[in-house]
Amino acid sequence: MPVVERSLVETSRPPGKVILDGVDVTGHWSTFLNSRVPPPFDPGIAQWVRQQPLGATLDQCWQCGTCTAGCCLHTDFGLEEFNPRRFLYLAQVGYDQELVRVGPLLWRCLSCNKCVERCPKGVRVDEVVHEVGRYLRETGKVPESPADRFDSAYTSNVLARGILDEAALYRTYERGEGRPLPVAPTLRMGWRLLVSGRLRTGPFARRTRGWGKMRPVLLRMLEEERRNRQRAPRGPTPEEGRR
Amino acid sequence: MTVVELREPPAYYPGCSLDGMGRAYEVSGQMVLEELGVPLDRIVDYNCCGATEVKNVSPDVALVLPARNLALAREMGRTEVVVACNGCLYSLARANDALADTAVRSRVNERLREGGAPGYNGTARVEHILEYIHSRVGVVGVRARVRRPLQGITVAPYYGCLYTRPKLWTGAGSSPDRENPHDPGFLDDLLEACGATVLRDFSAKTVCCGGGHALSDLEVSVGFSASILNEARRAGAEVVATICPLGQINIEQQFDRIRQAYGAELLRPVAYFTQLMALAFGRSVRAARLKDNFSRPDLFFRERGFP
Repeated sequence: MPVVERSLVETSRPPGKVILDGVDVTGHWSTFLNSRVPPPFDPGIAQWVRQQPLGATLDQCWQCGTCTAGCCLHTDFGLEEFNPRRFLYLAQVGYDQELVRVGPLLWRCLSCNKCVERCPKGVRVDEVVHEVGRYLRETGKVPESPADRFDSAYTSNVLARGILDEAALYRTYERGEGRPLPVAPTLRMGWRLLVSGRLRTGPFARRTRGWGKMRPVLLRMLEEERRNRQRAPRGPTPEEGRR
Repeated sequence: MTVVELREPPAYYPGCSLDGMGRAYEVSGQMVLEELGVPLDRIVDYNCCGATEVKNVSPDVALVLPARNLALAREMGRTEVVVACNGCLYSLARANDALADTAVRSRVNERLREGGAPGYNGTARVEHILEYIHSRVGVVGVRARVRRPLQGITVAPYYGCLYTRPKLWTGAGSSPDRENPHDPGFLDDLLEACGATVLRDFSAKTVCCGGGHALSDLEVSVGFSASILNEARRAGAEVVATICPLGQINIEQQFDRIRQAYGAELLRPVAYFTQLMALAFGRSVRAARLKDNFSRPDLFFRERGFP
């Protein structure tokens, strides 16, 4: 990645003739900067993320890297490209091109919260990373991930009855992913759950008493939130940002 | 001790898993609490807390779901809520923290009342069942109840990720009787009191199990489950003790894939810590529902002479 400083991105060079103390320095003193600034930068990204309910702590990040040093995906799992410090940095400066490149990794965050625990600046790293991922998804730059589909399946499962129906979640999610359930292991597991009295799924699933009143409220909230997000300002385009 | 007994017992939030896949945890947990004389009152009409998933879909719904449970606990007149699942602990503690803000609280309460639930005033303490047993009963109290010590059984204590994290919300380390967020040890203490040989230096204690993506990212969830089992093998553990239904189920569910990818020598029985405690308190393998676990700790303990 090229060397980038925010000030170089946002300030523009004076156009035309430049005279300093009576000396004409036009065209010499700052020409090298062009090669150091890769286009395009989009300040709209940071603006969008910090306006989201879970993205407000983006600007508190000081880039110390404590989150990445402890990150279970980066360190324990060895997925070196998964670097939360860098994800936050790219969002802060608005390095769109690079974000799109690393974007397909963001969904793999497991929300283990080691980063949130350790951050000396109080950044809720996992939440901000999820918001950056959401930005990329909603602008169509990165496709929907398996984890996004799982979160949606989980939410609608819970909202249906108030209590999670684990077996139904497994069924609907796997079907949605186009993975047929393996017959023998599923039957084996189903049998074990049945004999131990744990197979309360589908029509036999448990539900929260009084959920009939709570459910429409939550569904309305989802709908409102979806509408508000669509109206959320996207910030200036990359071209405007550079000017 | 008298001061402790004068306090109202906390409300107990079981969470979906304990009434579903993690039934063995619920049954053995109640058994242990009963035996120790610190029973809890269940929040009857509880709902799912939203875990870590719902917040990615809707941050507001992810506050209303846990807030409803906290409000029900307050309506029961309780100021403490005990949970058995790390995911529930995270979600309830997170909401508790967010609802300290009056603007957020009034917004959430409005929704709760619309949905026929009581409002929440933001004053409940959320605690994990492990911490509850450790602070209310303690090592000495547990040792006094042991009838059949887990003599000669080497256990790897596995806490998982969200037990103390983030300490900002869970309150870990905020006073001497709370869990140490950097090197948790309450599970070690309790199992040791039960007579087991506990691997206090087990290096995968707080490693993530990948359970958050148990279905959506098999590479990661199988990898982490295998690495926890591998660490347990390296340290010489015979059994892995868990404190979270998601961790338990995720590790066990990946057994077939772990066997294929890394070999069968990694596999070992995984059990909830309450099941092990129930065994030590003299309950049978059957009563502790060890047969419920997919990793079949019942076979292991029968072999070791537990009835």
